[in-house]
Amino acid sequence: MNAATLIAVLALAIMLFLAVRYIYREKKKGNACIGCPYAGSCQKHNAGMSCDSNIPQSRKTE
Amino acid sequence: MRIAFAGNPNSGKTTMYNALTGRSEKVGNWGGVTVGSKEYHIKKEYTGDREVIAVDLPGAYSMSPFTPEEGITSEYVRTANPDAIVNIVDASNLSRSLFFTTQLLELGIPVVVALNKSDITSKEETEIDADKLAEKLNCPVYKTVSIEDKNNGLKEMIEKAISLAGTMQKAPYMQADIDLHDKNAVDAEDRKRYDFVNKIVAEVEKRKVLSAETTKHDKIDAVLTNPIAGILVFALVMWFVFWVSQAWLGPMIADWLVGYIESFQGWVAGQLENSPAIVSALLADGIVGGVGAVVGFLPLVMVMYFLIALLEDCGYMARVSAVMDPIFKRVGLSGKSVIPVVIGTGCGIPAIMACRTIRDERERRATTMLTTFIPCGAKIPVIALFAGAFFAGASWVSTLSYFFGLVLIFLGALLIKAITGYKYRKSFFIMELPKWKTPSLKFAFRSMMERARAYIIKAATIILVCNTVVQVMQTFDWHFHVVEEGAESTSILASIATPFAVLLIPLGFGVWQLAAAAITGFIAKENVVGTLAVVYGLTAFIDVDELEMVGGANTVAMTMGLTSVTALAYLFFNLYTPPCFAAIGAMNSEMKSKGWLWGAIGLQLSTGYTVAFLINQFGTLFTEGHFAAGFVPGLIAVACFVVAIVLIGKRVRAHFDEQYDLHRKLKKTEGATA
Amino acid sequence: MTLLEAETGKTYKVKEIATDDEDMNAFLFRLGCYEGEPITVVSKKKNSCIAVIKDGRYNLDKMLSDAIVIE
Repeated sequence: MNAATLIAVLALAIMLFLAVRYIYREKKKGNACIGCPYAGSCQKHNAGMSCDSNIPQSRKTE
Repeated sequence: MRIAFAGNPNSGKTTMYNALTGRSEKVGNWGGVTVGSKEYHIKKEYTGDREVIAVDLPGAYSMSPFTPEEGITSEYVRTANPDAIVNIVDASNLSRSLFFTTQLLELGIPVVVALNKSDITSKEETEIDADKLAEKLNCPVYKTVSIEDKNNGLKEMIEKAISLAGTMQKAPYMQADIDLHDKNAVDAEDRKRYDFVNKIVAEVEKRKVLSAETTKHDKIDAVLTNPIAGILVFALVMWFVFWVSQAWLGPMIADWLVGYIESFQGWVAGQLENSPAIVSALLADGIVGGVGAVVGFLPLVMVMYFLIALLEDCGYMARVSAVMDPIFKRVGLSGKSVIPVVIGTGCGIPAIMACRTIRDERERRATTMLTTFIPCGAKIPVIALFAGAFFAGASWVSTLSYFFGLVLIFLGALLIKAITGYKYRKSFFIMELPKWKTPSLKFAFRSMMERARAYIIKAATIILVCNTVVQVMQTFDWHFHVVEEGAESTSILASIATPFAVLLIPLGFGVWQLAAAAITGFIAKENVVGTLAVVYGLTAFIDVDELEMVGGANTVAMTMGLTSVTALAYLFFNLYTPPCFAAIGAMNSEMKSKGWLWGAIGLQLSTGYTVAFLINQFGTLFTEGHFAAGFVPGLIAVACFVVAIVLIGKRVRAHFDEQYDLHRKLKKTEGATA
Repeated sequence: MTLLEAETGKTYKVKEIATDDEDMNAFLFRLGCYEGEPITVVSKKKNSCIAVIKDGRYNLDKMLSDAIVIE
């Protein structure tokens, strides 16, 4: 195994590790879409409000 | 400490929130950009080292919600007990805004009024006596200009809000003790409140220019909302956006960027000449090649985002919405469905969330279901790749993709209308036309950089991992032996993708490589390009020497073994099948109905399949004089879709009648008891 | 008369709001469009119009314009 291969394997391992770690952390934060600039405003975690409470009464009966 | 930001739609809450927190949440010049609450801590330079959280809320006209996103606001200020409320008041529409202000003042939470957009009022020579207003409302009032960096009044305003936190205040107007179930009493009470507000406005505001006077902006609006001229202008504007981003400026920058990526890849491959083939394949082809192929298209996406941001900032969106309303209404949607469609050219997820501003549930769900037919930013690389490789970089390919997406939305809406047994219902449309403003280049640039950052993160994480996995699956067979040259179809990837490929034969691209690329596209649409680069060992999608994306066109076209017809079929299949999983997730949480969600996925799958089938079969018929392979099985599949849709329609309608009956029975019993 | 019959540029008074939809009536009220309030049509087409209510401009479709009776 030459030096170039060694560096390549190391670089590969580090890149994959960082990428997987980033994805894992984001998933843990509840972010379904990695890299989505709007992930923070997705409905699942908007200030802990439940989905149903957002709908005014009048609509539920429709 | 929490400070909530509440006020009328389009009064500038998010702009102020961004200025105070340093975030770059989506802003735009129309009511209803923010559809959910967001929170972040305010910069220390404003708070003096205290931890203060700002909560940005969707705009609302009053405490009684009309659309779902208005409900979020009234629910929050009522139940979440913020320590203070900053009420953002659009100074150019004081008389309407103060109605909500007087309601907020009754909550017993300290309120600070920010007279925002003070720059506009001073330009129009409208004078507002802030001190007098503060005295009348019995709460502090500050003039603010959130779009300015200095002397914007934000620091004084936020300091006051912090100092007031936790105190009580006396409301200038208290709702009388009335029976809230008595409609007439409530009406009379609200009228009194408005009288109170009108009296204050008459005392504090002096207008030079009356708002009812016809201005030159009204003349522009009259043209833009004209059913014929307005739609022509809209088509022209969108065509211009696509042309600049995908046929002119975008590719020009992309060519330059791809040159570097390519030489970098060559360099990496050169360094690894003496290394095992698998290492070179993984690093040079999988990561640098695959991710590079995706990143190479970044300039196209960035230019597009920049132009869309300018459009969103100037106030044009509300006019588009108004002019498109009659057409959308005819197919059973609403004019408000246009906004998700335009946002959808950027990303499907915010587009799906923007559907919340649509009041009618059926219209809202139908829009959620259909909005992703408009190709999003992640599909631009796919379009650009195919336009470049098979159609000599013709700009009509991307324009066609978007307008065909719009046609599919119309057809889909008609179909949903038929399935749900749409009964004639009054559908009102009212849209505030905000004042025109010169779009801010700074804002558009920031918005573009934010999206570019997201694109790069996506490429460096999800797409990098996917490409590596694809490369590994392609290199090994199930016994973890390296696949030999000429025996590629024994690889893990080939054996997984082949069953799917069989289904795609009637569409003209029944090979495992293309099937694999389409499947990885569900994780993120950019993956289609990345996977194609990996499985075919292609990298140079864009030529460096010529300023056109014809680069390696022949090589690309030949390696993939597609004709122009099948290439178009494959492109459209990828564009109009369901979006990525993240967007499907967003659809799920917005629709709140498993039936609608599966209906949406089913509709999108069958649309993508049918469109590709028709293009392939009829295209081949025209170009070669005979149908392509798998015509009969494909026809059977399409027939199955039709039967399924008819059956679902029947079931839904039967159910609908039942509900309708029940409703009538209920009314009868009500009548009997009364 | 209704909003679509109004002369452009002239300010009228709202006489009646008759949308048959309580939520819609309430919404219009909150915008400041209710009995006795001034309203001005700045431009109109066959099936829609742009009206000034308080200090805001709104695009209203035919159905809504027909439901706003002015004098």
